[in-house]
Amino acid sequence: MSQTVVVPRASPAIPRLLGLLPGIALLAALGFLGKLTEQSIARYGKAHHLALPNIEYVLWAIVFGLIVSNTIGVPVVFRAGVATYEFWLKVGIVLLGVRFLLGDILKLGGISLAFVAIELAMSIALMTALGRWFRLSPKLTSLLAIGSSICGVSAIIAAKGAIEADDEDASYAIAAILALGAFSLFAFPAIGHALGLSDHAFGLWAGLAVDNTAEATAAGALYSDAAAKFAVLAKTARNATIGFVVLGYAIYWARKSNRQGVESKGAFLWQKFPKFVLGFLLISLLATLGAFTKPQIADLANLSRWAFLLTFAGVGLQTNIRELTKQGLRPLAVGAIGEFAIAGVTLALIFAASRLLK
Amino acid sequence: MDKAKPEGPLKIGVTLDWWSVIAALGAAALVRFNILPHIPW
Repeated sequence: MSQTVVVPRASPAIPRLLGLLPGIALLAALGFLGKLTEQSIARYGKAHHLALPNIEYVLWAIVFGLIVSNTIGVPVVFRAGVATYEFWLKVGIVLLGVRFLLGDILKLGGISLAFVAIELAMSIALMTALGRWFRLSPKLTSLLAIGSSICGVSAIIAAKGAIEADDEDASYAIAAILALGAFSLFAFPAIGHALGLSDHAFGLWAGLAVDNTAEATAAGALYSDAAAKFAVLAKTARNATIGFVVLGYAIYWARKSNRQGVESKGAFLWQKFPKFVLGFLLISLLATLGAFTKPQIADLANLSRWAFLLTFAGVGLQTNIRELTKQGLRPLAVGAIGEFAIAGVTLALIFAASRLLK
Repeated sequence: MDKAKPEGPLKIGVTLDWWSVIAALGAAALVRFNILPHIPW
């Protein structure tokens, strides 16, 4: 009798984790260099009695990352580790929950969700109309609408499979959203300062109108530490709606192409739901219940900053300006017009609701 | 965002979102029980 002998294969997890280390070290090095640069300039200004502008470590980390990725490029050995920047972003967001009392999250999250609902409806309608006007393919239009209304690249990737879009359409949509994210990163804080927005108002605006979570967090952090907190909260509220929007599009495209739709809507929603939102709420609940002392809350908030430091370096390292400009101009034009309109309307909403925010 | 099949460098059965929650909660536990020393900024 023959017997099949199953030889257990060694788990590839450890070599894969080791393969991440060079890239993570690069993220840490560039991020830390950004932090050192900020401190050195401040120290130099103080020592020489000069009123130098305070350029946050956030900007330095992004700029150093941009310089590397757009000059020498990111060598292959670093790429896997650099791609973990989204992981650090989520770790940072979950840990940031410690700085919120659950009651504040429910209040602010409620306000944010109301704005998110308006922003979603407007973004989807506007992007759909612009896509038709610029004669983009219907699926590319759907991807741009999803990317601009919820959370950028992640939402596009989540929707790509659900609506069976082409790789080419997805890469056009991702390039457009990334290019606009890079622009927003610098434009939003400048506009916020010019308008004299409060930290609270600016954070909410960045969270509502900047597409990618990393860029929204960075734009908030470039404005102020407090603004970053509110940007994360508003963006998290926006991210939480991803399942509903992608489900809506999946059903729409299934009906349109006469194929079988989504079998279990509950399972679909759970699958697409960003689980780090649950971690954020859990840490906030623990902090609200007094699980941490004040120094421990400060420690966890600092740990969140370190995680964001790696994220910001990753944002720069992942942005290749030449590659972004190579993609089609029409998707970029649709994205840009749509984003300007969304930024304007969300800003108007925040001005209108300024009484609630005080 | 979460994906049905984890993609990217951390394909270890659990999705990236869950790993971030596990890592953050683990760090919070280490701080809570004073295993992790003071974290400066």
